[in-house]
Amino acid sequence: MGGLILFIFYGSILFFIIATAIRVRKFVNAPLHLHWEFYKGSSVYELIEWWTKKRSTFGEKLWSMFLDLLFLREFYHRNRRFWYPLYLFHLGLYLLILWHAWLFISAVVANVETASVFGWVWGTFATVLTFVGGAGILWMRMMDEELKVSYPPIHYIKWIFILLTLLGGIYAVDIHFKSSMPTLLKYVREQVTFANFEHKLHPAFGPALHIAFASAWLIYIPFSHVFQLFFRYYHYLRWDDVPNLRGSEIERRIKEHLELPVTWSAPHIQSGKRWREVASELK
Amino acid sequence: MKKERKKIRLQDISLRTDEPLVTVTLDDLMPLPPPLDLQEKKFPYSTLSENQKKGYECSLDGVSALALPKPKDKEEEEKLVERFLSGLRKLLSQNDNWLFCQPLIQSLEGCVRCQTCSDACPIYVSSGKQEIYRPTYKSEILRRLINRYVKKRHKFLSKLMGYDIELNWPTVARLAELAYRCSLCRRCAQQCPLGSDNGLIGRELRKLFSQEMGIAPKELHDSGTVQQLRVGASTGISSAAFQGMVEFMEDEIEEKWGRRIKIPIDKEESDILLIHNSGEFMSWIENPMAFAIIFEAAGLSWTLSSEIYGYEATNYGTWYDDVQFARIVIKQVEVARKLKVKKMVMGECGHAHKGLIVVADRILVDDLNFPRESFLPLLEDLILHGRLKLDPQKNNFPVVLHDPCNVVRLMGIVEPQRRILKEISPQFREMEPHGVENYCCGGGSGFAIMNSMNFRQWRENISSRMKLKQILEAFQDVMDPSIRKYVCAPCSNCKGAIRDILNTNELWEKHGIYYGGLVELVANAMVDMKRPFIEWEWR
Repeated sequence: MGGLILFIFYGSILFFIIATAIRVRKFVNAPLHLHWEFYKGSSVYELIEWWTKKRSTFGEKLWSMFLDLLFLREFYHRNRRFWYPLYLFHLGLYLLILWHAWLFISAVVANVETASVFGWVWGTFATVLTFVGGAGILWMRMMDEELKVSYPPIHYIKWIFILLTLLGGIYAVDIHFKSSMPTLLKYVREQVTFANFEHKLHPAFGPALHIAFASAWLIYIPFSHVFQLFFRYYHYLRWDDVPNLRGSEIERRIKEHLELPVTWSAPHIQSGKRWREVASELK
Repeated sequence: MKKERKKIRLQDISLRTDEPLVTVTLDDLMPLPPPLDLQEKKFPYSTLSENQKKGYECSLDGVSALALPKPKDKEEEEKLVERFLSGLRKLLSQNDNWLFCQPLIQSLEGCVRCQTCSDACPIYVSSGKQEIYRPTYKSEILRRLINRYVKKRHKFLSKLMGYDIELNWPTVARLAELAYRCSLCRRCAQQCPLGSDNGLIGRELRKLFSQEMGIAPKELHDSGTVQQLRVGASTGISSAAFQGMVEFMEDEIEEKWGRRIKIPIDKEESDILLIHNSGEFMSWIENPMAFAIIFEAAGLSWTLSSEIYGYEATNYGTWYDDVQFARIVIKQVEVARKLKVKKMVMGECGHAHKGLIVVADRILVDDLNFPRESFLPLLEDLILHGRLKLDPQKNNFPVVLHDPCNVVRLMGIVEPQRRILKEISPQFREMEPHGVENYCCGGGSGFAIMNSMNFRQWRENISSRMKLKQILEAFQDVMDPSIRKYVCAPCSNCKGAIRDILNTNELWEKHGIYYGGLVELVANAMVDMKRPFIEWEWR
């Protein structure tokens, strides 16, 4: 059983890496789509000869993305009621991710024997925040008529699974490790440095349960909405004002796309010809 | 007492019945402010005749935008469903739909069903929140059909994920009509916290029907893009007729405003090729006349073109068909290239702005990659730099600005028109909301010119209802009919839709609410005009 948990855990990490790489590759290699964005306010098109003017930089877009993700600004402005539980959940999640990073690093570099209660407070606070936010979202999804619209059954299961994962974390830290940071950090150090194969092969119920939950999430994340968020920015679905200048990389890619065959079969389109040819015809 | 409404589910789209899923009633409609609050209520749209019902699909809401004939038999139904499925596969293919596949997939996969977009939709709200008009309704159906019939998920997983909609002819027929119950204003996309674009999903659905099944409103296809490619303009104006109209404009300008100007046509190597929506020449010729007066007064090097495709800025392909869109764009730009002008400038036509300047940017390559821009920055430059002698007191009447979606939200041209109006209209006021948060006029995406069966009534009473409400609210303090009021709508299609709602509700006759473009106000403010440019005669 322990071996299976071990296999699933490392297998899920591998799966996460491969699935993420495939998804990223698919996004990066996607064809250049036509301009179809919309704007929050004034754009470069307000200027005479806009194609010669300075546009927002990649850094500015990155900063905008960072603020959007950190504060869920769009939800804050557009759907405040839903933002409250959503933000609690995300804030807790961000803190929890950071806590795990801190856990792995300090388990290796710090003196685990003298670890203070600070780590426990941080982890517990983050878990409770995430739990309260998650439970709030689930409650709203069940009770609010608007939020129930078209919400598929599997997503309710997903939220219950999230809450169970959090409870699993609490069980592992507070029941199994008895809320002791030195014990927890020592265990993590053994795991990270591969120092104790006995614990790896025959984990106790608490850590095993937590690892099983983590594995399930590692398998799910590459297919989740999270990636959509990043690639929305990557593909400039909003506020894209990069012009297609003559001799540019954009123009080169468009020329490639214009060589693709047109396969649509309505009477006014002749399938089989290339886009370049079909677009020059009169129909 | 208000009757409790039947709850519409996503699965109802495939119900085998000729009865509409929804019929919008008087009680459903969003109330309007005075003076239309006490108006005798009109039914949102009339019921189709028995013959029409027998021959055409109208089982969505009892309205027919497409005049879609019913299939003759089961075999034909099955063929049509198969073609729909084939089109659906193509929409999702990077090779078949390289133009929009990426944002489409993002929109399909990115939605978290928070329904934040619903209240942003003027049609959904105006209709009394009919479930079928909810921005996510058609998107969710499409998403579920894709997962069940294209991705072919396991049956159990499909049920768990809610992919339980049956693809049959009623589903296809209702989706075809549903694609034309959204004006593609994309206010929902603007509101979506995740950027999921239900407007794009609607547009891609229209494309599937047109490009794979040959189904599109006749006003957009047969007498729209097909006619434009055949004769040069979607209005059917020939080159000779256009030249006659320009002569008429010169005579009118001299007769009415005492200026003899020569409107340049086909003048090679000009700085600017000005291109109008040809509907302006047919319905609002004062608009191109105002442009001519302003450009001549400012001493610009400019020209119109009488070459076919050169006097028509519209491109209805923007709303429903990539192939037709690309064909028209290429013809239009070729005219500019041959004339050796420095740039093309769009007149007051919203979708021509978005289509020709923005969307076409990634179709035009090499010497067809030609500079194109809006008239707004140019006009602002002329006014703010004192190139025109203007007296704002000549426009001393209430003016409210309508923001065409294509120019404002979808292009980010927000401030130039406001800075112009602040210079020339002392009583300029805003609608609420405005700018990128504006509401569609209700005539967007071709609705303004679509008049099949009872569709026009649907447009006037539902699709344009929010704009009507905004206009009335903006003028509440000056509703006295002796005070002339002006709705400034710098877009041809918006003007058409606004004309219709003002006319149907007798708001010009009874309350002095008039409408027109932006350049007419600029020409009206020019100091050396023999008489006011705006004639306050209903058109």
